[in-house]
Amino acid sequence: MSVDLVTLEDVISHDLFPEVDAALRRGRHIDRSDDAWYYFLTESQGHLEAFYRRYGCEFVGRSDGFFFLVSTTGLLGKRMLSAGEMVVGQALALLYLSPSSVQQAGLISREQLLSHLTGILTLPTLIRVLTPQRRRVDERVAEQEVRDKVMTAARRLAALGFVDLVGEQIRLRAPLARFIDPVRSAMGTLEESLTKLIANNQASMAASDAETETAAEEEP
Amino acid sequence: MRVFARQASHHTDPVYGNWDSCDPRMTSDANKLLTGLVHEQVSLELRPVDLCFVAALYLQADRTSAPSFDSETLVDVYEQVCDIADPGAENPRKRATNAIERLRKQRLLVRIDGSGVVSAGEFSLSKLGIAIVDFFLAEDMLTRESLTVLTRSLIVQLVQVRTDARKANTDDDWRTRVATPLRVAVSELIGGIERRQRGMDAQQAEIRQSISQQLEQDWFLAVDRCENLLEQTASTLRELNEILLRDTQEFHAVLQDLQQLATVAGAMDTVDAIQRVGDQIDRIVAWGSTRHKAWTDYYQYVARYVRDVIRLDPDRALSQRLRDYLAKWPDAPYGLLVLGEPSHLGVREVDPRFEKPPVFQPLVERDVEPDEVAAHDELDALRMRVEAAIGAGESRLSSLTCGLLIDVEPARKYLTMGRIAQLAAPFADGAEPERPWVVVSDLVEIEEWHLTSKRSG
Repeated sequence: MSVDLVTLEDVISHDLFPEVDAALRRGRHIDRSDDAWYYFLTESQGHLEAFYRRYGCEFVGRSDGFFFLVSTTGLLGKRMLSAGEMVVGQALALLYLSPSSVQQAGLISREQLLSHLTGILTLPTLIRVLTPQRRRVDERVAEQEVRDKVMTAARRLAALGFVDLVGEQIRLRAPLARFIDPVRSAMGTLEESLTKLIANNQASMAASDAETETAAEEEP
Repeated sequence: MRVFARQASHHTDPVYGNWDSCDPRMTSDANKLLTGLVHEQVSLELRPVDLCFVAALYLQADRTSAPSFDSETLVDVYEQVCDIADPGAENPRKRATNAIERLRKQRLLVRIDGSGVVSAGEFSLSKLGIAIVDFFLAEDMLTRESLTVLTRSLIVQLVQVRTDARKANTDDDWRTRVATPLRVAVSELIGGIERRQRGMDAQQAEIRQSISQQLEQDWFLAVDRCENLLEQTASTLRELNEILLRDTQEFHAVLQDLQQLATVAGAMDTVDAIQRVGDQIDRIVAWGSTRHKAWTDYYQYVARYVRDVIRLDPDRALSQRLRDYLAKWPDAPYGLLVLGEPSHLGVREVDPRFEKPPVFQPLVERDVEPDEVAAHDELDALRMRVEAAIGAGESRLSSLTCGLLIDVEPARKYLTMGRIAQLAAPFADGAEPERPWVVVSDLVEIEEWHLTSKRSG
């Protein structure tokens, strides 16, 4: 631990604390690309674990290089990512794992994301996932709507620190590894992994597509 | 010519600056040159095989020390080029003839024997053809040189110029021993550095592509090779760092000395040359810092990728499992939980609740018998007015009509005229021998009747 951050008081009175604390409480994930914030959290990890425990939160520091808060008691509000955010997040996580993204150091275009998504999920499935309330589908209109929804989801993921939006491009960040968690274990089944994540308050099962989407639409 | 000068006045050339500030003689020359190029419709269009052909001729001339080629040699060289650049092409001799014709039209190849068209010709590469090949050869050679070597040479050259500047006494000394070496030798070295920069950019692009391809093909097995390639990136970074940290400071220190010496000696021409070299060095430094950041980011990204992704998933099963999960998107999927403070709504002031009085109105008898009202008879009213007017002495139909029409709305005037005539008819003198037509409005004329107060028949 650095000499500057010996006690919790040192941590709280540090210049960076207010904005880092506010970001964490907004659900922001902080990784190495956040430079000063990341190194501040690395230095003060021990103190902050105890500090946030009092708010009913677990301060998680992952070995793959990022930090975030998990609410365990509900004292601080929490929300579940919408189906759209989950689909886009998982597609981005796949791109993060893909060697094709290495050439541009994790920088991908929006078109790449869209074509990757439509390559894995068919357009009708995407329409069903991203616009669950739409009953009658006009493909031409729906395609534009899917594009808009994907970009909206990408913006929300950027606000949470999963990616950075750099002009027309998207920079993939280490916190995308959270989307890989349920399939990470080669030994257990997906259900077992999910049960563990749910028990750790890191995930939840969606009630239904429409409900999730409606909840997300209501987000500011 | 003036048109061009006006257009060019808004154009800033990256090398020569604003054309406005150029020597008028130079502007005039540029006008002549450009007008000539437009007039002659000069253009260059080289296919890869044509470019290879020119390069092959250049190398052939270099190897045999014979600057010219006869027709047969040209065809032979083209056939050799064709074997490499376009194997399997049909009728190479005919193609060779066409290629020679194309190069001659574009002035890359010139006929030098001076004979007529009947005899077999002797050809040579033009200055333009040689310059094109020189460009590619120079790129190839210089990109292999170390950037550090080039920058050190530049410093040595600048120090030499500074030494000469300290000894310079006359204007001629300043011009020949300071300004000219700065313009020629130093600019030449800076050009070399810039070519090396382009080479480093290309090298980096190759490394990135190679790492990506190797990981795509061999995944975990490619890690060692990728780490070697990353080492190349690291050495490039070291080279750049050396320039950024050490050499640029030296550049600026020497240039500052030179500028002071030139200013004191009043050699303003040399000051301009020093300024230009300083600008070029700034450009090199700016390039270095942006590339340094980009390459550092890349190095860190790949190092993290190898550590966090490849080493944790050596058989690449993770991607497949995630792809499978995503492909069969379930009806009730899971969702990640994130912290989210409830949004603060803009709450407005609330008025205290109050009981609204019930809506009421006094009871009234609604079933009232209607009053009897005499119907308004328009014709009767008109009759009374007509009779009253005639009784008052009106004796002509036209003046009676005009008088009664004053307050009648335009749409009803025609109808009212008829009714007036109908009501006045009993008062008309039927013994009139002739009834003249009289205008009563813009569109209507009526017969003039003589009216009497006594009703007829």
